[in-house]
Amino acid sequence: MRPFALVHARTLEEAARESARPDAALKAGGVDLLDRMKEGLDSPKTVVSIAGIAGHDRIETGPPGRIGALATLAKIAEHPGLRKIYPALAQAAAGAATPQIRNMATLGGNLAQRPRCWYYRLEEFDCRKKGGQDCFALEGENRFHAIFDTDLLCCSVHPSATGTALLAYGAQLETVSPKGKRRLPIEDFFYRPTDDATRENILAGGEIIASVTLPVPAAGARSVYRKLKEKESFDWPIVETCVTLTLSGGVIGNPRVVLGSVAPTPHRCVEAEKVLAGARPSEELVRRAAEAAVQGAKPLGQNAFKVRLARVELERALREAFA
Amino acid sequence: MKDGSKGGFTRRDLVRGSLVGAVGAAVGVKAPEAGPSRIGPGPAPLELTVNGAVHRLSVEPRVTLADALRETIGLTGTKVVCGRGACGACTVLLDGETVCSCLLLAHEAAGRPITTIEGLAAGGRLTPLQEAFIAADALQCGFCTSGMVLSCQRLLARNPKPTRGEIREAVSGNLCRCGTYNHVFEAVERAAGMKKADAGTPADLFASRFPAPDSRLTDDPRVAMATREAMDAEEV
Amino acid sequence: MADKLRLGFNGKYQVKDVAIALGDPAPWDPSTKFSVVGSRVPRLDGPAKTTGAARYAIDVRLPGLLYGRILRSPLAAATVKSIDLSAAKALPGVRAALALAEPGEKIRFAGQEVAAVAADTPERAEDALAAIRVAYDPLPFVVTIEDAGRPGAPLVFEGQATTRSSAGDMPSGRKALPREGNVLGPRLTSKGNVGEGFRKADAVVEGTYVTQVQTHNALETHGLVARFDGDELTVWASTQGIFSVRDELAEAMKIPASKVKVITEYMGGGFGAKFGARIEGVTAARLAREAGAPVKLFLDRKEEQLAAGNRPSSVQWIKAGATKDGKLTALHLIVRGTGGTNGGTGTSGPIKNIYACDNLQVEEFDVFTNAGPSAAMRAPGHPQGSFALEATLDELARELGMDPLELRMKNDPSEVRREEFRIGAEKIGWQTRDSRRATKDPAVRRGVGVGAAVWYNTGDTGPRATVTIHRDGSAGVEHGLQDLGTGSRTMVAIVAAEELGLPLEKVSVHIGDTRMPFGPASGGSTTTPSSAPTIRRAAWQAKRKLAEAVARQWKVPAESVVIAGGTVSAPGDPARKVSWPEACRLLPDEGVAATADRAENHEDAWKRFTGGAQFAQVEVDTETGKVRVERVVAVHDCGIVLNALATESQIQGGVIQGLSYALFENRILDRQTGRMVNPNTEQYKMAGSLDVPEIEVILVPVWDGVNNTHSVGIGEPAVVPTAAAIANAVSHAVGARIRQLPITPEVVLAAVDEARAKGGRT
Repeated sequence: MRPFALVHARTLEEAARESARPDAALKAGGVDLLDRMKEGLDSPKTVVSIAGIAGHDRIETGPPGRIGALATLAKIAEHPGLRKIYPALAQAAAGAATPQIRNMATLGGNLAQRPRCWYYRLEEFDCRKKGGQDCFALEGENRFHAIFDTDLLCCSVHPSATGTALLAYGAQLETVSPKGKRRLPIEDFFYRPTDDATRENILAGGEIIASVTLPVPAAGARSVYRKLKEKESFDWPIVETCVTLTLSGGVIGNPRVVLGSVAPTPHRCVEAEKVLAGARPSEELVRRAAEAAVQGAKPLGQNAFKVRLARVELERALREAFA
Repeated sequence: MKDGSKGGFTRRDLVRGSLVGAVGAAVGVKAPEAGPSRIGPGPAPLELTVNGAVHRLSVEPRVTLADALRETIGLTGTKVVCGRGACGACTVLLDGETVCSCLLLAHEAAGRPITTIEGLAAGGRLTPLQEAFIAADALQCGFCTSGMVLSCQRLLARNPKPTRGEIREAVSGNLCRCGTYNHVFEAVERAAGMKKADAGTPADLFASRFPAPDSRLTDDPRVAMATREAMDAEEV
Repeated sequence: MADKLRLGFNGKYQVKDVAIALGDPAPWDPSTKFSVVGSRVPRLDGPAKTTGAARYAIDVRLPGLLYGRILRSPLAAATVKSIDLSAAKALPGVRAALALAEPGEKIRFAGQEVAAVAADTPERAEDALAAIRVAYDPLPFVVTIEDAGRPGAPLVFEGQATTRSSAGDMPSGRKALPREGNVLGPRLTSKGNVGEGFRKADAVVEGTYVTQVQTHNALETHGLVARFDGDELTVWASTQGIFSVRDELAEAMKIPASKVKVITEYMGGGFGAKFGARIEGVTAARLAREAGAPVKLFLDRKEEQLAAGNRPSSVQWIKAGATKDGKLTALHLIVRGTGGTNGGTGTSGPIKNIYACDNLQVEEFDVFTNAGPSAAMRAPGHPQGSFALEATLDELARELGMDPLELRMKNDPSEVRREEFRIGAEKIGWQTRDSRRATKDPAVRRGVGVGAAVWYNTGDTGPRATVTIHRDGSAGVEHGLQDLGTGSRTMVAIVAAEELGLPLEKVSVHIGDTRMPFGPASGGSTTTPSSAPTIRRAAWQAKRKLAEAVARQWKVPAESVVIAGGTVSAPGDPARKVSWPEACRLLPDEGVAATADRAENHEDAWKRFTGGAQFAQVEVDTETGKVRVERVVAVHDCGIVLNALATESQIQGGVIQGLSYALFENRILDRQTGRMVNPNTEQYKMAGSLDVPEIEVILVPVWDGVNNTHSVGIGEPAVVPTAAAIANAVSHAVGARIRQLPITPEVVLAAVDEARAKGGRT
């Protein structure tokens, strides 16, 4: 890491002002930031720490649920209320990284972390995500890269497990910036590479996630989160699936189907949702919905298998949701 | 306190990122000062409360807790293996929770209780968990052991009778290259009193209880001829 | 003198005349009632390692210590134009800077050493690295075997292949071999006539098997701390060979070996890549000399992945034939492997040395690529070779309509291993393996597979040890051996305690220092069979000296004094009987000491190979391609086990490394730039606690009489057959052959599809 000054902010507003300055970086748990700084990807002159700010790690089950952005993944994973009311979120948090990292990493940091694309993660590669001209993964080693939106200049996948779950829940984010506070649906949070290949989300100019609000689950609400990894101990997913829906009178309502680790953003499967909405669960429906979900996939040279696995995992998630 | 030049720190201490002192028992966290506190980029003083002792040191903000513990304070039981949070060798307890000290800034740990592997065996007496690690041979090269023990200590503190699955999960962030995992699981079960320490029954391990084959010992004719050749081929 | 020894295993012994060297005790008889040997002894350094007190080389702190770092090439092939250290040298705290390459010198892999610095903090050393300016002329490169073998491919070496030469590196054999472009070889092994053998065969199978590059990833990285006191150099090294480090440093620094002292109190794993001082070690010493201050230089994980050695890849074409009754008639192996800028990629150990076959042909080629150099890795060549060979045997058995285990038993000349097959088969439930393929979940299939190990129960002369018996009845051993984590320190204590008849706590062990009598480098499963007989011999001689001292006091002939069961006596004279402590009190102040050299192996004993058989049971999700290894039964022999607990640990470790190799590990090079894209412990995937199976270890004791303790190493055999057994189990589960490692979901799904396409059982 190159030298930097460390600022301990006392409020989020203060942190927003400080981190809006040039060459400043915001740090919460710091797991991702320090990893990048150690590799030389980021060399901020000032690191603004919000880790010590009290009160932003609260978890209110609600409903509606409200989680402070400084709540750790461990606290979310273990929270009895969340596990009952928003189980897919708790499972997403529980399945991330390692016990040690879950004790450090925060919800805000998990949402705002940078991709794990190995080309991006190595200082030797001047890739698009760093403002360079090339996406090395497009023609390179791309087993773990995107299968959707692969024509968008950068084919890294979004790394946030909680992002996948929160998109399925239709969560809202509250942010603080030097311009004030705002509230936005999580759909609007994620950036596609065509918006700006060097960013994965809307945060800029000192904007900080303050909290996340989850909608009140409707009657008969069900949610399922699944993660498929090569290795069970600390591994990034090949594919994640998260499904939320209601089942009332044997009819599926308000389905939201999200695939994670398959695209530069958590990937909402609108075609699958159309198949599911208003239908009655059946094995045939499961197959049709999963097929619809991967219809638009455009895998790269080495990752066609991810399309197959996305379909299998979504079938399983739907069966679980209907069970 | 931009340069962190507080009384008691010599210029050389500040430059070298040195240990300033280790005194007495833990003291309370200092009240925050007015205005956002800004330190560095040069060395700045801080107090780390490690295993109940307060260490006053002066390091740059970029120094990680792992490096401050190892290089400045000299508590080298904490190991750094990957430096990126992906192996758990640097695990310490911060506020009682396991964390990767390689991804924490020393300055951010200031004033918070830190337990390293050196802090477990109070007064030179091994904890039951440490004893169980030794008895179950849950260590080989020993380089992952500090982190493993602390992850297991944390597990037992919360869950005195963990299942095998819970033990596996608890150490899933601790990479071992020698392959001690199964013995680590046994060690935790022993420490939890769930598995009686066997009194060393080598017979369990040996095949002697199996029926003897109906065959007689003969010299393997290929062996003498092939030994040299094999050694040549292997270049071991 | 020749002794009549009972040698054999499992209660079946034959008597052989074995010549025993003067001053060496005869090998133990199978009737021996051991007091310590063979029991489960917790390792002596357990308290130090569980409390953080154990001081590894990387933990050494010295007054005025500087931190060294190495700058590496980001390019896979280039010519160095210039290296400018001036800006780095001008930074505060920077005390030394060196160019490690000359202008005009060729860079052959991304990660090759270019320059080095030493500064007073790790952070300042990092700043200094960033300030070094290097200009390169990029050159074309090759990183795959296929590309490297094409006509007109860029050459890794234009002239003579200058592979590295630190101890444990993998040169391309000692003999001059033909070379065409980047391809060196073949190294030929031939026996009988394979053409004739295949003509005699009733069934012939062939296939191509591909394995990946595996990196060692010892948790403690490579490096050392170097301190000059005048012209004397003291080094704390993380090494498998303190003496080979000493000699390499003496040569590189042009000082006598007698002025170099190497210390390894504890070390965090090696697995074959840590024998010599290597470039980083010599660099640390050079920086220390230039700075006039001690330097600690350890690689970080990324450097470790790029430049600290690896197990080469392989592409193995293998063909096998057998008669209807299952007798092998011909085996033919052609292998190309790449160890980057090093060689040593052969995989023929298993095919040459496990199953008997009169007609054998092996052709081995090293293919140079612009990638980090290979180094010896736990059973070099064997896990690769075993994977291809054991898969081929399963294919042959299917072709013959024969049980795969039966085919092995018919062709295995090793009686010990045949017994191991029997034991393992019973434990894993081999007979019912087909009926257990189905599970409750229709997507999940179970499979059981087997693989065999071979290794060479050598151990050699060279080691020397001193055993001292003190007046207070305690004993000390000095032996310049290093403990990699295998339990060598404890092994030394066990052998001395057994021979002297002392409880373990009365024996102190001093190892890990080149000022002590010479100890062997720890590798090739040779440590225990090299050291244990040395320790026993020295203890035996010290014991004789105690007997002589007592005899002088008693004024009886020395040979009439017997030391056994904690007493010293002259049988037939009831007055002449004292306890061990009483006897020791008769010694002079300095006690008695004996220094002994290891005796030669007994060529007339039961010389044989080490065996081993492993069985794996897996569950395969045929929809996701995910493999879960449920259980491994590992049946091994390593002579007479000195410490059953540490042996079990080491075998478990071999199985886990083998599983990790079979399922996960893979060094991935970017074909566009030649750089490794996963130089970490996150994307270079190694098995963790949630991935390991139940492992049952069973040992078959063998009294082979080759040395006075019947001791044999277990490090290598434990890792040899695991990948083969797992791959065969996956093949059994899905009904199609696995021909590639690691067995990723894609590989499994391709096999599932293959089985479906041929209408096979899935």
